[in-house]
Amino acid sequence: MASFILRKAEPKDVSDILRLIKELAKFEEMEEQVVLTEKELLEDGFGDHPFYHCVVAEVPKDKQSVEGYTVVGFAMYYFTYDPWIGKLLYLEDFYVMKEFRGYGIGSEILKMLSETAVKTRCSGMHFIVAEWNTSSIEFYKRRGAADLSHEEGWHLYEIDKCNLLKMSSK
Amino acid sequence: MDFTIRAATLEDCKDISRMILELAEYEKASDQVKITQRDLEQDGFSKNPFFHGIIAEVPEHHKSREGHTKVGYSLYFYTYSSWKGRAVYMEDLYVMPEFRGKGIGKALMSKVSQLGLAAGCTQLNFTVLDWNKSSLDFYLKQGCWDVTSDLGYHCMRCEGDALEHLAQGDL
Repeated sequence: MASFILRKAEPKDVSDILRLIKELAKFEEMEEQVVLTEKELLEDGFGDHPFYHCVVAEVPKDKQSVEGYTVVGFAMYYFTYDPWIGKLLYLEDFYVMKEFRGYGIGSEILKMLSETAVKTRCSGMHFIVAEWNTSSIEFYKRRGAADLSHEEGWHLYEIDKCNLLKMSSK
Repeated sequence: MDFTIRAATLEDCKDISRMILELAEYEKASDQVKITQRDLEQDGFSKNPFFHGIIAEVPEHHKSREGHTKVGYSLYFYTYSSWKGRAVYMEDLYVMPEFRGKGIGKALMSKVSQLGLAAGCTQLNFTVLDWNKSSLDFYLKQGCWDVTSDLGYHCMRCEGDALEHLAQGDL
């Protein structure tokens, strides 16, 4: 299978984006954590000040998935800032449907994202990976990624809405 | 001690730059700081800023030993969780050593939370170095949890040559 295209996501893609987000979350055994809706994806990604950007991988109709989908992969990203080195591209989600792996779609998506990062003068691309996800870690390490948690001791922390409310009223 | 928390302006970049270096020194990494005061002015105060800042300021009669009244800051920006939507990321939080223990750090973090909630965010994220015990204690008291330890998510980075090779499609 050769033909697939990569393109910027459009408003009509939000249903597929959410489907793929849930598939990736299911793989991470976190499916019940996904509370995002299509409406939020639409408002937050395609308004005046988007919170995220998205690229999708699409195959022709005659190559559609078993369930009839033509959007078979995606990457969601946004720009962040490191006060030591400046702009960064943060890769939030990156996923290709199982049926469509091994054809270079993932590599092409990553290539497109890194081109974007270089073009917009980002100093690097950051993302998180689950430590048990050895195949993904190998995929990233082969491409020169460093594990900051392991090498430098950085831990990611989170404060949820309930505690944010408590903190904001102190 | 009297202090105010307010949004950072272009004029604050000199002090923000100074305090970024102080924080980097504390994290034993001051040689890694490449961003200048001018970069901060361009990246934070243009039409499409890449970050936002808040400053903690004390009155003139409480100024620091070297004469500074801007004694703490936080840099933050908006991110997006594919699970939960809008989020706010606190990139830096710093209070000069001589002004610690007076609630300034808590007030800065509280302000970032308020701004995040007002923008529709449902979570605040940040990273901490695993050896930074006093900061870890402070954060745990605010009700946060360690995503890296609890869920095993590691922070990864692709930069410099690796990023260039990736852009060119090399393997």
